[in-house]
Amino acid sequence: MSNRTLPRLLQSPAVILLLIWMIVPLSMTLYFSFIRYVLNNLRRPEWTTPSFSNWRGFGNYEFVLNNKDFIFAIQNSLLIVGSILFFTVIFGVLIAVLINQSFPGRGIVRVLLISPFFVMPAVNAVLWINMILDPVLGLQGIAVNGLNDIIVGLKDAPLVGWFFSLWPTLEPISFRATQTSAYAVIIMVTWQWTPFAVLIFMTSLQSEDQQQKEAAVLDGAGPWSQFRFLTLPHLGRPIAIVVMIQAIFHLSLYAEIEIVSRGNGNKNLPYLIGEFANNNIGAASATGIFAVILANIVAIFLLRMIGKTLME
Amino acid sequence: MAIVAQSTRYGKVTRTILAWAVGLLFFFPIFWLVLTSFKTDADAVKPEFLFFFTPTLENYLNMTENYDYWRFATNSIITSIFATVFTLAVGIPCAYAMAFNPSRATKDVLMWMLSTKMLPAAAVLYPMTFLTKNFLGIYDTHFLVIIVLSLINLPIVVWMLFTYFKEIPKDIIEAGKMDGVNTWGEIREILIPLAWGGIASTALLCFIFCWNEAYWTVRLTTTEAATLSKLIEGNRAPEGLFFGRLSAVSAAAVGPIVVLGWFCQKQLVQGLTFGAVK
Amino acid sequence: MGRIVLENVTKSFGDVEVIPPLDLTIEDGEFAVFVGPSGCGKSTLLRLIAGLEELTSGSVSIDEEDVTLVPPSKRGLAMVFQSYALYPHMSVRKNIAFPLRMSKMEQSEIDQRVEAAAQSLNLIDYLDHKPGQLSGGQRQRVAIGRAIVREPAAFLFDEPLSNLDAALRVGMRLEIGELHNRLKTTMVYVTHDQVEAMTMADKIVVLQAGVIEQVGSPLELYRTPRNIFVAGFIGSPKMNFIEGDEAAKHGAKTIGVRPEHISVSDSQGEWSGVVGVSEHLGSDTFFHIHETGLAETMTVRADGEVGFKHGDRVFLTPRADAIHKFDDKGLRI
Ligand SMILES: Nc1ncnc2c1ncn2[C@@H]1O[C@H](COP(=O)(O)OP(=O)(O)OP(=O)(O)O)[C@@H](O)[C@H]1O
Ligand SMILES: [Mg+2]
Repeated sequence: MSNRTLPRLLQSPAVILLLIWMIVPLSMTLYFSFIRYVLNNLRRPEWTTPSFSNWRGFGNYEFVLNNKDFIFAIQNSLLIVGSILFFTVIFGVLIAVLINQSFPGRGIVRVLLISPFFVMPAVNAVLWINMILDPVLGLQGIAVNGLNDIIVGLKDAPLVGWFFSLWPTLEPISFRATQTSAYAVIIMVTWQWTPFAVLIFMTSLQSEDQQQKEAAVLDGAGPWSQFRFLTLPHLGRPIAIVVMIQAIFHLSLYAEIEIVSRGNGNKNLPYLIGEFANNNIGAASATGIFAVILANIVAIFLLRMIGKTLME
Repeated sequence: MAIVAQSTRYGKVTRTILAWAVGLLFFFPIFWLVLTSFKTDADAVKPEFLFFFTPTLENYLNMTENYDYWRFATNSIITSIFATVFTLAVGIPCAYAMAFNPSRATKDVLMWMLSTKMLPAAAVLYPMTFLTKNFLGIYDTHFLVIIVLSLINLPIVVWMLFTYFKEIPKDIIEAGKMDGVNTWGEIREILIPLAWGGIASTALLCFIFCWNEAYWTVRLTTTEAATLSKLIEGNRAPEGLFFGRLSAVSAAAVGPIVVLGWFCQKQLVQGLTFGAVK
Repeated sequence: MGRIVLENVTKSFGDVEVIPPLDLTIEDGEFAVFVGPSGCGKSTLLRLIAGLEELTSGSVSIDEEDVTLVPPSKRGLAMVFQSYALYPHMSVRKNIAFPLRMSKMEQSEIDQRVEAAAQSLNLIDYLDHKPGQLSGGQRQRVAIGRAIVREPAAFLFDEPLSNLDAALRVGMRLEIGELHNRLKTTMVYVTHDQVEAMTMADKIVVLQAGVIEQVGSPLELYRTPRNIFVAGFIGSPKMNFIEGDEAAKHGAKTIGVRPEHISVSDSQGEWSGVVGVSEHLGSDTFFHIHETGLAETMTVRADGEVGFKHGDRVFLTPRADAIHKFDDKGLRI
């Protein structure tokens, strides 16, 4: 009847669009992951068109699981995501507690703090890897050189000169090797997402029960016990949410990896899929299915938590 | 008493200094980007011109010759604006129906919408390329970018609008029904004016997300519809040659968005946590 | 015109049947009041008439026209909500004009009607205010103004006065009564306050758990309640109920006597008891009597100021012709 059909009608464009968006490409990925499908193969040209006659069963999955790159990409994904989560949560809590109370210029500090979050990922990566972390021309290189110059200068100083002559010449770190470029990614994403964590923790701190705190003060609780026994438990839920939302975003981190690590072996799952997709679509699709499974594990927990707050 | 007061005063001063230090530290890279954008390419890599140099606008004036900046910027503007408008056009009726005529399935539909957002984009990379290139022939078109940006932001937009709309008393919508408005009238005359603030900040956030998107805009375009993300990504490794000019395009690409972002900090929390943090 | 007929109407929310099959006719020009305890389905019934809820089965017709499937906007009814439901983004003038604008009336005609409505509701000075700047009573008047300008077939009110303070409520009650006398339009009014029901209604519909217990004029309900529920619900203070031997004497399971139908004396009477709390209202005094051996407490009314004190023993006499008798199913004998 009219009362029911109209709401359905209003929802249907959004629902149908998302349904297509989800089902069509994903089912194709699923299909490709079970067939032999490559873009170029001179000896077996029949593999270059997707078809059921090229059925491979779980062959692509086996191929991917036995591929060194896959294991490395998984490890690297976990390293990157885990480190980012660790640092953003720690910094986020500390900074949120620090700026939760009012002080002169709090509004401005907030604005300064949140800014990194709105920087487009491509710019973030270019900015950090070139202008800040570059071992020669970036701020890092300049700072290390400057420090070395100072030390060299001090070697000739009277009295303390002998002490500085014991010092080695500092070497700048190159962030373009396989492992160090993962660190670079961790640094730049932590910079970008700590503000997000701060913002959410601050929102949550604002709803902290002030009377409870005052009662605790009267009971003789110092700042540390207040933090430990009142604030941290209060932040438990937002921390869980920050962790999960970030996990979902960072598992599909792409632009930063692409810019920082092209050609140097550092990769995560999305990047590996991109590499496979240059030729071996079957493997790319199987990897994609693994990525979906990984994301779903996180998503289920997140959706549960959100579902609870939904509809009051 | 006096000692306590004094020690808290010191505490306050320390905290103020510390807070400012943290704020400045986080802002520093952006500041550095902007600062470098006013240096010539040669000056930008010389330690002696770190903070003191002769500022020049050359990098900004030459953005078009160096990078064809405005073509990419135009693409970014067009795709982000149209995607935002389209997302709202689809999202407002949907959120309206969910907020004012909820059924038992509403909660599940909302959760399902969110779950599409959690699908890793890379997993469907090749099918998307395949479909848009070989099948639909819309690879590297504005149309494609607009559709994709809309779809990836639709769940968040519906979600945010839903939380805003739920705060409007149901009575007011029903009063409208009694006063003789049809559904379209309810949305136009009552819902949109009432939720204007929420809709505006949702739109703003959606625009920011569209602008910053860096997977599909990079992978599904080559030249025609390429956005600023693609421009920057394509010039990622200048080996110190073009720090000045690269900083200028980068600053031009992020500056306006960072400023817009300042205006929707609050909505960001709601939008990104799906109302789960109050 | 506005004759509303409900036939075999039922309403369920999910598996819960809130309104079992129900028939009701509200005549043109009538002031009908739905009363009943909280949660009994008054609002639901009103919203079914309005079209804001969908019927599970049955039919609704207005002026002999079946409107069961007609959306609320096309039924030609006006509703005043408990929360007033004014459009906060519009001025008072725009609020009142809104239904007229929606029916595509000419601007000059709209202005004229808004002006007239504002005049009659004392809102002329506030026409350019936003609802947020008005007091509760003024908001209520704007909501009424918005309803009257469109000259609806019937007005529906859902507890319109319950957000007002006591003094204002009495005033608004009179205003709505006055409005009904002037417009002679059908009004359906929901309240859980039986005083409102008694003072305003032409016809009272007493509901309990979605079932109509009795329909009738206020005095009919007062004089001849059909069952114990109605007897207890209508009248203030509540009727005294007595069971056991005393009831059996009258050949009933239960008998009921209203406080105003019992006389009090310090010397003689049919029943006796001890005075507990007494409420002095000036015009009347209500005594709560304990230890009567008939019921836990009995309430009696005495005229003016009567000087019994806490703990005094008193004697009570019911008016013989005002004893209500009920059988073991609670129905009137
Ligand atoms: N949308 C709904 N979904 C489920 N149950 C509902 C809904 N609306 C009302 N009910 C239930 O229907 C019953 C009747 O509700 P209704 O609002 O009509 O009562 P009422 O008589 O108006 O009460 P009150 O005097 O408190 O306003 C209640 O038990 C209520 O819980
Ligand atoms: Mg009600």
